[in-house]
Amino acid sequence: MTAPQIIENILQALVAGVLVGSLYGLMCVGLALIFGVMRVINFAHGDFMMLGMYAAYYIFTALGIHVLFGNGFGPYVAAVLAGPLLFVVGYGIHRALISQVTGTRTLGLDGEGHYAQLVLTLGIALILQNGALIAFGSMPVSIRTPLSISAWELGPFWGDFVSVFINKSRGIAALISGVVIAGIALVITHSRLGKALRASADNPVAATYMGIDVDRAHRVAFGLGVAITAVAGGLLATTYPFHPFVGLEYVIVMYAGVVLGGMGSIMGAFWGGMTIGLVQQMSTLVLPTQLQNTAIFVMFLLIVFLRPQGFFGRVVERT
Amino acid sequence: MLTIDRLDAAYSVLPVLKGVSIEVAAGQFVAIVGPNGAGKTTLFKTISGIVIPSAGRLVFDGQDLMSVPPSARAHLGIAHVPEGRQVFPSLTVMENLEMGAYTAAGRRAWRSNLDMILTLMPVLAERRHQPAGTLSGGQQQMLAIGRGLASAPKLLMLDEPSMGLAPAMADFIFERLIDIRRQTNLTILLVEQRVAEALETADYGYVLETGRVVLEGTNATLRADDRVRQAYLGM
Ligand SMILES: Nc1ncnc2c1ncn2[C@@H]1O[C@H](COP(=O)(O)OP(=O)(O)O)[C@@H](O)[C@H]1O
Ligand SMILES: [Mg+2]
Repeated sequence: MTAPQIIENILQALVAGVLVGSLYGLMCVGLALIFGVMRVINFAHGDFMMLGMYAAYYIFTALGIHVLFGNGFGPYVAAVLAGPLLFVVGYGIHRALISQVTGTRTLGLDGEGHYAQLVLTLGIALILQNGALIAFGSMPVSIRTPLSISAWELGPFWGDFVSVFINKSRGIAALISGVVIAGIALVITHSRLGKALRASADNPVAATYMGIDVDRAHRVAFGLGVAITAVAGGLLATTYPFHPFVGLEYVIVMYAGVVLGGMGSIMGAFWGGMTIGLVQQMSTLVLPTQLQNTAIFVMFLLIVFLRPQGFFGRVVERT
Repeated sequence: MLTIDRLDAAYSVLPVLKGVSIEVAAGQFVAIVGPNGAGKTTLFKTISGIVIPSAGRLVFDGQDLMSVPPSARAHLGIAHVPEGRQVFPSLTVMENLEMGAYTAAGRRAWRSNLDMILTLMPVLAERRHQPAGTLSGGQQQMLAIGRGLASAPKLLMLDEPSMGLAPAMADFIFERLIDIRRQTNLTILLVEQRVAEALETADYGYVLETGRVVLEGTNATLRADDRVRQAYLGM
């Protein structure tokens, strides 16, 4: 390999890493709201993402979004619309089931209700997976957009030797992801709702004294977290095929990203997911593809070992 | 304003409050004193709805509190400054105060209340962008009181605001309470271990022992009472 070729490969892997990393980042932000901020363990989060993928798929095909917005942009509109839909699903499931083991109900439970959350959400995960298998079948599907076979070219640089291609489909997905993350970060840090969510997580009893309905705060956070991850799923579905068990492949990435970023930090979770995407793609330069996930976990263990509080870990302990 | 009528409360089977009756009139400063474990904190938690009473009545401003969910009680005008301060550690000082002003009344009066709080306790202004978890104990207590005031309450309940503080800091907190009382004429219900100061500042006092009111009266009556003088004032 010549030097320009090597540089081109590195740049191409970097771009691929940023593109997929921004979607991992978005997924992680969804989980960060539930696990990082509200401290609720949700093992069904990957399966909610799977629901988001199917929601985007059916919104695109069955609801006629492809007619309205065309095959080019329709998939993105569908992915974004999966958000509000899954918000309702998440909010409803929280109200019916998960509220039994979060918020003020957990005050008397062992380990802040974490054991109960673990068992309950594992059960929900199984139901969602098998329900999806019955409803949607086991055949992998994907949302096709003609944009996924065209690319923007950056360059050529260095005379005529180096140029980098950005797949249009992934580029647009990354842009949407960036906008959603910026919006949600603003809401969490600056809005009354965001502050009430953080206060409820910090100290549910004191939050109640302030007049905050802590159980409702948990419900809203859960719905929002599910919705955000569903949008990430919908965006991912425009390039990757999916099936009812796809959640299992991503739930680990999500937890790793949230822990990497430092629990409780929304932007941290984004950078955690981004790091995983980058490591995954960069590792393809030197490792066979089958070892991509190994590379992620070696890096994960290294970072957890060297910086246990994560990139953006908070110094302050909860009371 | 607040009527507590023959209230019983228990943790699972352990009875803690046994027929407690307390009356707080509008504009009054009422103190509750008593030894550790008497049930003072439990009484406050019952008023806030965190502990459910097994018998008795709680009436605030003519409204039966039992039919009001815990998170709605602050909106009626009850501010609870809890034992051990319980500030929101990861929120900044300002965000803590904003959470105090979560009630509609608090939001309406936000500007003037914030002014008053920061003038009373200027250290909060200096630390406004710092996470509350990084404050000292005394500063956290000031923040907890400020957070209570920010809700523009009708009734301010304070649970041992001097607990765990160095004597000088405890004095400072007490002086601020007297300032607040003078400036706002707020109705205050205070639980304190520093009995001498509490009875001196209050209009009326109750002595709670093992879940029962054993004595009540105006501050002059209580301070003249032999049992109070011996048990609490060390005379
Ligand atoms: N969460 C709880 N669970 C069980 N018992 C409790 C709990 N909190 C307090 N108690 C018990 O209730 C009694 C009254 O406590 P508390 O209301 O905190 O008293 P005080 O505030 O007057 O010191 C004590 O015997 C205490 O051990
Ligand atoms: Mg107490």
